[in-house]
Order: sequence, then structure tokens, then C-alpha cells
Amino acid sequence: MNQQAMSPRRRGLMLGAAATGLAALTQPLAVLAQDASEIVIGGSIPMTGVFAFAGVGINDGIQDYVKIINDAGGIKGRKVKYVPEDTAYKVDVSVAAFKKITSQNKVNVYYGDSTGFAKTINPELERNGNILMAGASFASELNDPKKYPHQFLVGPDYTEMFGILLKHIAKEKPGAKVAFVYSDSEFGRDPIEKSEAAAKQLGLTVAIKIMTAAGSVDVSGEVIKLRRAAPDYTIFHGYILAPIPEFITQGKQQGMKSKWMGTFWTMDSSTVMKMGADGDGFMGVMPYRYYYDTEAAPMLEKIRAMRPEYQSTAYTQGMLAAMLFLESVKRCLDAGKPLTGDAMKAALNSLKDFDTGGLIGVPISIPGNSIPVGRVYKADMKAQKMVPASDWIKL
Amino acid sequence: MDMDWGYLFEVSLTSVMGGGLYALAGLAFVMVYKATRVVNLAIGEMLMAGSYLFFTFAAMWALPLWLAIPAAVLASGVLGAVIERTMIRPLLGEPPISAFMVTIGLGSVLVGLVEMIWSADQRRLPDFLPTQAITVGDAFLAPKIFWGAVIASVFITAVLLVFRYWRGGVALRATASDQAAAYAVGINVPRVFSLSWVVSAMLAAVSGIIVGSIGGISSSMGVFGLTVLVVVIVGGLDSVLGALVAGLLVGLVEGLAGAYLGGEYKLLATFIVLVFILMVRPYGLFGTREIERL
Repeated sequence: MNQQAMSPRRRGLMLGAAATGLAALTQPLAVLAQDASEIVIGGSIPMTGVFAFAGVGINDGIQDYVKIINDAGGIKGRKVKYVPEDTAYKVDVSVAAFKKITSQNKVNVYYGDSTGFAKTINPELERNGNILMAGASFASELNDPKKYPHQFLVGPDYTEMFGILLKHIAKEKPGAKVAFVYSDSEFGRDPIEKSEAAAKQLGLTVAIKIMTAAGSVDVSGEVIKLRRAAPDYTIFHGYILAPIPEFITQGKQQGMKSKWMGTFWTMDSSTVMKMGADGDGFMGVMPYRYYYDTEAAPMLEKIRAMRPEYQSTAYTQGMLAAMLFLESVKRCLDAGKPLTGDAMKAALNSLKDFDTGGLIGVPISIPGNSIPVGRVYKADMKAQKMVPASDWIKL
Repeated sequence: MDMDWGYLFEVSLTSVMGGGLYALAGLAFVMVYKATRVVNLAIGEMLMAGSYLFFTFAAMWALPLWLAIPAAVLASGVLGAVIERTMIRPLLGEPPISAFMVTIGLGSVLVGLVEMIWSADQRRLPDFLPTQAITVGDAFLAPKIFWGAVIASVFITAVLLVFRYWRGGVALRATASDQAAAYAVGINVPRVFSLSWVVSAMLAAVSGIIVGSIGGISSSMGVFGLTVLVVVIVGGLDSVLGALVAGLLVGLVEGLAGAYLGGEYKLLATFIVLVFILMVRPYGLFGTREIERL
């Protein structure tokens, strides 16, 4: 064997290289490469699958807001980086995306795609301690700062949405008869029990509650039930579109005089317009302004300048999430606090009469985990638009 | 509690009419099973494919309805032929479980295709059924349900007649009762297999179009197939009459459960019927006794 002795210099170099390699291995490479001063928004975004109609808008909304901030020089000179992953709206994929994104980046804030994900990831979020999270879920369960200290909802929770609708009904027609029609799912059942109590408090009667089976196409039996209860208002929840149009069409054919209402995920302009002529006058609660609202709103003008075509309310939701994320980060940095989950959440809760640039029509405060404000909008099929049917309602 | 007979009648009427759609979709299933002994678990997805084809022709290409409906049905027939030729035919002679598994795969392939081509958004089909309300005495019947049931019964009758009198139908029945003998008398058995898939896919498309026009279409509407499966098992996998009776029965049970117990009990009630029937008559109401169990 002809082996050369290693020179001390070469050995030193090799040791150095090995040490560097070892250091690199203990931390994923991407983290080393990352500029330490970057603010990172991670995102489990449903770009495909059943929730893609919203996911695409959410993604654009976050992206656009990040661009606006970065174009203006970032936050105290620190650039914002947005790292999304497609989840197809599946909890396991979403958790995998979270692990991947948080292991490759030093994530400060995170957008989650579902209630299931928000609940699943919560212990991990607590362990991590350095992430503030919001997402597409408005589940009432998440509106609990004790159980979910590092999360918040980008609007009213589902019970609060019902509360806003009920308040509007009580004002418009005191003592009215109300019906709740909801899907047999966690999403559908969410606000029902509490809202029944809330209705009673407002002097309204819940004439009937109808739970529809998941994926059922034929709702004619349920329509008969609903007609016999003869409600003045029917509130749908736990659906996107189907079977709401069928309820309304058949209900009208049977001579029902009810007014029809929905909650956030039904209320995007494009969704309501799919209901066709029978959907005229369909009402619902919306915490944000629509893209085409004419009231003065600097953010909406900015959006319309960036994107001349209609943007969904999911887009606005994504943008507002990014705005609240970055406002919390900014307040922490201004106060010289470290970017921990606790500090960012405290900064978020310090928002008092915060101006969203008109995304929400009134200044907002976030005392807990939600933004309990919204407005009733109504479909005008002739104009193909949602028009305000009430003032902004705060709970 | 006072029994409200009017309500019972109204709900029963609607439910039985709705059951007509189960019967039609069930027929599409039985067609394939009878001729080829393949349990087609993708029946719900084939229904979905038919409704999306109709959506494409009627809403996206804006063809008139008299053209869009036959076009969608024919295109579905072609799809059925392609499925049979590429996925099912190669499995001739393999154990039934292979074909069974292939149809499960086929179901998710179809869902994937629909999501790729049309996205997973919910959509509505153009209204083509009359909207004039139907009343039977005091009872109200949604026009879509009524006309859906009428169309379903027209097709079911047509299929029964074809089976009885047309040469191809006779060949199909002959193949169903004894493949070897059918070969022996000169029936082109592979062609019969093809034919059964084509007809099945076309029937599925018709029910898909009706189901879609009632409840809208989405990539998850294949769930409808789950109830269809219950229908055909209750009826006896290879019985046309069974599919009809069971379709109406399941529709009725589902409707009554929904009316008196609540929507969450619909599927439960349906499956209780399934379990009960399987206990009493393991081969279904009208099924052949020698049915293969998987």
C-alpha cells in the first residue's frame, strides 16, 4: 500500500470542512441560506381540490399584499417572504406542508387551510412558540384564546356570523320566524346550538332546524319540511353552493315567502350569481367589502389597480390575513420585542380601531381571537352584484 | 303525536319519485354485472362523467339541448367502450376481485380527470326540465323530481323492451345465463361485453344529467353511487326487476328517515335496510342464488 502521510495543514482544512458540514447537517441548508432579517409567511394553501376556488384567491391576496409591503421597503427594512405549498385541502398533506415549510424556513406567521388543520397543528404551534397563525377557518371552536393562544380568525366566527344575521333580522322584522338549514358536518353544525339561544334572546323563534345529509342531491323532502314550518327567514350554513339553489327554487315553486340567507363561504359574488334568477335577493353576512364596492376604500383601489378583473372575497380574506400578520410583526419590531407567538398575538390584540384600508368598512379591534363585525349584503341579479342591505354590524 | 297524513303522503310521493333515479342508476350497474359479472364500483363516477360531458356541451359550448343531451349520452357510451376495451377486457378470465379493484381505481381516475379538466368547483347545469309546479291533491311535487322520474321510467321501459325483443338484448341475456353456451351458438361474447358497458355508461349518463340538474354537479357527486350500490345489493346484483323495486324502496326509506328522524339518519336507514335484507335474503330481493361473494 502506498499511502501518503497527511500534512498538518491539509488535515486542518479537512477537519474544518467536516466541521462546517456537520454544522450544516444539524440545520437544513435552506435555513442557513436564508437572510436572517427576512419575515416569513408560510402557507398551507388549497390550490387544488374542492377548496381550490378559494385557495387560488387566498394565495393571490397574500402574494399581492406581500408585494405591496416589499415594494414600500418591507417592514423596518426587513423583506417579507411568502412560502406557500398546495395541500389539496387535505389535513395530512397540510401538516406535511407545515413541517416542510417550517423546517426549511424560519417561519414567523402561517396561513392554515382548514379547521381540521388548525386543530391538528395547534400543539405543534405551542411547542414551536414562534409562530402566529390564522387561516381559512371561521370555526367557533377556534375563537378561544386559552385553547388557541397563537391563532386568530380573519373575521367573525360562524356563531358570530349567525349573530350578525339574527341581529339584522330582529331589526327588520321583530319576532320573526327563522329556520336553520345546515349540513351534517362539523362545519355545518358549528353555530347551530348557540345561535338558537341567541335567536331566542333577540325575541326570534327558530321554527325549524333541518340537517341535510352530506352529499345528498335530492332535498325535496327537506323542502316540504321547510315549507310546512313557514319561516320568514331561512339561514343556510355549511355549504358552498349546492343544495342552496335547489332549496330556493323548490321553495319558491311551492309558494314560500321566506327570505334566504347564507354565511361567508357561500357569499362570494361568483358563487351567489350561479344561483340564477331565483337567487335574486339572496342575503348573507360578509365581513369584507366586495371588489366592486364604490364606497371610498384605498386598499380596494390598490387591488383594482393591480388586478383589473373581479377578485373573490377569498382574495380579500387572504390579503387581510397578510395585513394583520404583518401589522402584528411590525408592532413587535417597533416595540423592540422578539417575534414570538405570544408577543405577536399580544400585538394583534393591541389593535384598537385599526384601519384596514377599507377591506372592512369600519375600524376594527381584535380583543380575542376573532373580528366580530360584518354586514348583510343582498344579491342584485340584474346588476350581477352584491349590494349592501345593512350597515356594518358589530357584536 | 297526531299523525299528519298529508305530510306522510307528500314526503312518500317525493321520495318514491326520487327513488326512480336510484332505479335508473341501479339499472346501469345491473347491466354490466349481468353480462360480465363485473361489480362496477365506479358507477357513481360514470354518472358524474356523463353529467360533466353534458355540462361541457350545453353550458361551455352552448349547444342546444336537443343536441347536447344525445351528444353527452353518446360520448359517455364511447367512454364506456374505451373503459371496457382498455381496462376490463384484459382481465377476462382473471379472478373477479381484479376487475372489482380496477373499477375502484377507475372511480378515482375519473374524479381526477374531472378535477383536472373542469376543476373541483361546484357547478350548475342549465335548467331544461319544466318548472311548472306539480300538485297531487294537496301534496306538492317538485317539478324536477317529477320530470326526472318520468324520464327515468321512460328509459327503464325502453331498456326492458330492448332486452326482451332486440337481438343484441337477447344475446346479452343469453351470455348472462351461460357464457359457454352463448359462445357455442355463435354469439360474439366479447362484443356483448362491450355492448353492456356502452349501454351501462349511457344509462349512467342519463341519470347523471338528471341528478346533476337537480343538485348541481361537482367532483364529489360520485357519492350518489354509494346509495346506488345499496340499491343493487338489496335488489340482487343481477336482477333488473330488483334494481327497480329496490330503487323505489330505498328512495322511500331514505325520504321517510329524513322527514321523521333528520338528514343525518338517511344513510343510516338505507344501510339498515341493506343489512336486514342481506340477513333475510343474502342474494338480494330478486337476485340469483349463486352470486359470487367477494
